[in-house]
Amino acid sequence: MRLKLRKLMDHALTAGGYLAIGGMALFLLWVLVPVFTKGFGAYVFRGTVEHRRMMLGEFNRGDLARLRAELAEVWRAREPVYRAVAAFERELDAMPAARRKALRSAFREVREGVAVLLGPEPGVPLPALTRRLYGQTRWEQAREKAADILFEETWEYSDAGSRRVLVPRAEQFEGTALAPVFDSVERDLAAMMRPRLTVYPRFLTDRSIDAHFFGGIGPEVLGTLYLSLGAMLVAVPLGIVAAVYFQEYAKEGPSVAFLRSCVNTLAGVPSVVFGLFGLAFFINTLRVSPGKSVLAGALTLALLVLPTVIRASEEAIAAVPRAFKEGAMALGAGRFRTVATVILPAALPGILTGIVISMGRAAGETAPIIFTAAVSVGQMVKPSEVLSQPTPALSWNLYNLCTEHEAVEELRHVQFGMAATLVLIVLALNLAAILLRARVARRLKG
Amino acid sequence: MLLSPGARTRRRLAELAGRGVLFGITSVAALAVMAIIFFIARDALPFFTQVGAREFFLSTEWYPAHQPPRFGAAAIFAGSLLVTAAAVLLAVPLGLFAALCMSDVLPFGVRQILKPVIEMLAAIPSVVYGFFALTVVAPLMQNAGSWLPGQFEIASGVNALTASLILAVMALPTIVSVSEDALQAAGRELREGSYALGATRAETLFKVVVPASVSGLFSAVLLGVMRAMGETMVVWMASGNAAQIPRPWYNLLQPVRTLTATIAGDMGEADQMTGSAHYHVLFAMGLCLLLVSFACNLAGEWIVARQRKRLRGG
Amino acid sequence: MNEEAKREGVHLEARGFSVFYGAHEAVCKVDVSVPCGLVTAIIGPSGCGKSTFLRAINRMNDLIPGCRAAGELLFDGQNVYGPEVDAAVLRRRVGMVFQKPNPFPKSIYDNVAYGPRLHDRCKRGELDAIVEESLVNAALWDEVKDRLHMNALGLSGGQAQRLCLARALAVKPEILLMDEPTSALDPKATARIEELIVQLRGRYTIAIVTHNMQQAARVSDRTAFFYEGNLVEFDATETLFTRPREKQTEDYITGRFG
Ligand SMILES: Nc1ncnc2c1ncn2[C@@H]1O[C@H](COP(=O)(O)OP(=O)(O)OP(=O)(O)O)[C@@H](O)[C@H]1O
Ligand SMILES: [Mg+2]
Repeated sequence: MRLKLRKLMDHALTAGGYLAIGGMALFLLWVLVPVFTKGFGAYVFRGTVEHRRMMLGEFNRGDLARLRAELAEVWRAREPVYRAVAAFERELDAMPAARRKALRSAFREVREGVAVLLGPEPGVPLPALTRRLYGQTRWEQAREKAADILFEETWEYSDAGSRRVLVPRAEQFEGTALAPVFDSVERDLAAMMRPRLTVYPRFLTDRSIDAHFFGGIGPEVLGTLYLSLGAMLVAVPLGIVAAVYFQEYAKEGPSVAFLRSCVNTLAGVPSVVFGLFGLAFFINTLRVSPGKSVLAGALTLALLVLPTVIRASEEAIAAVPRAFKEGAMALGAGRFRTVATVILPAALPGILTGIVISMGRAAGETAPIIFTAAVSVGQMVKPSEVLSQPTPALSWNLYNLCTEHEAVEELRHVQFGMAATLVLIVLALNLAAILLRARVARRLKG
Repeated sequence: MLLSPGARTRRRLAELAGRGVLFGITSVAALAVMAIIFFIARDALPFFTQVGAREFFLSTEWYPAHQPPRFGAAAIFAGSLLVTAAAVLLAVPLGLFAALCMSDVLPFGVRQILKPVIEMLAAIPSVVYGFFALTVVAPLMQNAGSWLPGQFEIASGVNALTASLILAVMALPTIVSVSEDALQAAGRELREGSYALGATRAETLFKVVVPASVSGLFSAVLLGVMRAMGETMVVWMASGNAAQIPRPWYNLLQPVRTLTATIAGDMGEADQMTGSAHYHVLFAMGLCLLLVSFACNLAGEWIVARQRKRLRGG
Repeated sequence: MNEEAKREGVHLEARGFSVFYGAHEAVCKVDVSVPCGLVTAIIGPSGCGKSTFLRAINRMNDLIPGCRAAGELLFDGQNVYGPEVDAAVLRRRVGMVFQKPNPFPKSIYDNVAYGPRLHDRCKRGELDAIVEESLVNAALWDEVKDRLHMNALGLSGGQAQRLCLARALAVKPEILLMDEPTSALDPKATARIEELIVQLRGRYTIAIVTHNMQQAARVSDRTAFFYEGNLVEFDATETLFTRPREKQTEDYITGRFG
């Protein structure tokens, strides 16, 4: 009886462990799968003729003659819509005042919907905002906008809560000159937009146009690279020197113990506090730049990853077989020469592992760069400007785009594209570290 | 090989100089933490002299933009505490079970596969977790009210629970890897001693291995707490940012605001007016965070030192 | 079974018993009968499979991935590796003392009480009695009776090993396995343990692995000589040491190899 109970507890432990592990693995999948599948959509999608028009207009990419031909095709499908709109406008003027009042605002919505879907109406002056110069560039969004034309969204309130109800506008405009619009939008949407599978690898490097309505994430990628490389440029030499000192020179004593404890403490400082420090010290006190800059951000990030670099380098140096070192010392090499010619080269792969992981960490951090380096809207920063200019960065702009941007819902594909790119960069760095570590382990084994 | 006295002195001097330079650079790296304390404290002090600590710690009225502004941060402290505590309560049991499973249940090959999985979980940037919380978890949470049994009213998908869930996941890798190391360090002999007396695996783990590695496990939990408390992006994006104490206080389904999110969110406005009370209050919050993380660090080092002393016999 | 019958009887019997680490056969088709209540020594050069065989008896090898057993190993007539045998139950009846003392990081009292607490719901008084009896049997009682609640990690090596013995005795096993129990101890502590083995003889069936020929001669009734996984010779200790049948045995005990 008692034995049965004991066995049961044992199985419960095993099951609990598997559950916890399985849960973690599943959670990882739950995060990665949507991020990657939807992020993929920023690079490969069904682009409409508006996408090709935008590409030619803004980036001067594509074939003008072919686009002309395509636009002519498209025009044939779109023309009835414009004709119906113009006809209805005349009809509206002739209507009795009461009916005109009832239909006017609905008509405005339809007309606006058409402009959003297809781009500016021919003949009207061009809008000032780039985002309004083109219609919907992505097929799935075109279909959503088409639905906005076809249906009026109303909310039905009751005790149980509110419910969304879609009312077809065609009913409202039954018998008017506008009616054909709904037919053609429903029937000929594909002919109006001509969706085609589009591969857009330059999403990674293109500048963004009109706050990410079109274009790519080039400035953000570049900013992330600047910041993480800059951080490593500062942190790596400092970190390696400190590791060499701790492992090869330091004699255990109160001052060394204190320095070690400082490094441990540095590792525990919350990242947002690093941001505050960067602002108060690098920008407001040292005035390394007039305001936020890549330099200030990189310095802040360098401090953040410093403990990781030190620890990884220390481990790598400690793993170098003592025989190597003693061999070099026996040959009469001084301590410095031993370190430079024997220990560091032997420890290099291990140190590299730490560097690569830290770089991933620096690339993904957001809080430390908010007050020191990041701007929401910005162009590519030239290498000559890194000392004085702030920069967009993948991490910060992902935050900004999914919370503070005026069109959060419409730019989901850009957000997922950024998230996937950032995760890909970080995971690639981590994968590199894992492979490197496996190689080190193999080499140490024999 | 004999060196002339002059050459020997030169060599000694060079060695000494090199050592000095290395010590200097190392000190710079290590003393950065002192600089952090100094500069955070320097910009935090004006707040305490201008406005005073009383309102800051005791009042829940957080209206930094009003005229006159009110800087009562009690609700924000409570929010940080609530979110961190909930995350740790979720992550610690899960993490310990996972670590036990990793160290004693799973076959070696599976463990080798799982380690990178856990590293990946740790490597994903926090802003991506925040984005995930916002776009995937929050809508689910919002709808959960309708299909969960009982009377749930979930006003918004971004609330303390969403933030805690994600924070828990982010704290897990630290907890798992540190506790797994601690469990492994307990050693095979100890386990065999227990098995040889007829103990089952669960008994061996809970009665011998866990007590033997309790200090390591405690450090793991502390590190998890620090990770959850210091995290910014996820709580900023997923906790709702309402400076209020939930009613009742344990109601995780209400939005809260945390220290880190307040700093990140408000500094954008406040750094335009460097020197204002709003600017300084954010540093005061940073100082509090810093002090708590120091306390955790000290506690961790104390535990390790005590354990070392106990193992030496005493 | 009464005491006398048990003494005559066979407590443990291996028939064509092998143990593998992966593809490597560490113990090859061993046939041996360990008699009840006597001390059996297992000797042989390093790496010959002594520990492996000993650990196979209470299925400690189950914990090593890739290790499996073949053939029959009968304990009181029942196959140790049979499907209905529970390793936890088996290990309660077959106690083990390891080469390196491995006290749990608990108090001395809790160390000894660990086993009984697992298996039975004991009352406080009973438990006290068991702890005292076990410590007395392990000849440790006098040294620790005033500090039973001190952490066991503070004990000396020899004391810790006797504590491990007491811990094993506390669950009242029928067989006691000892894998080089004295190799980490100084001569004085070794003598104490040997004394104990002699005292325990008759009450428990004991199997002891040792590299120390004198020790085997001093404490054991039977001796088994292993060589490269094979059982070369198994006989009364006196016979084996004075008139070995096999050449290999003679070479080993006279120190010509190993
Ligand atoms: N965990 C293991 N995995 C693989 N092979 C093992 C393992 N343990 C032991 N072996 C191998 O099995 C054989 C027997 O080992 P065993 O430990 O039983 O020897 P032993 O007689 O106890 O030696 P010693 O006197 O040195 O303790 C050796 O060849 C050894 O290499
Ligand atoms: Mg052995």
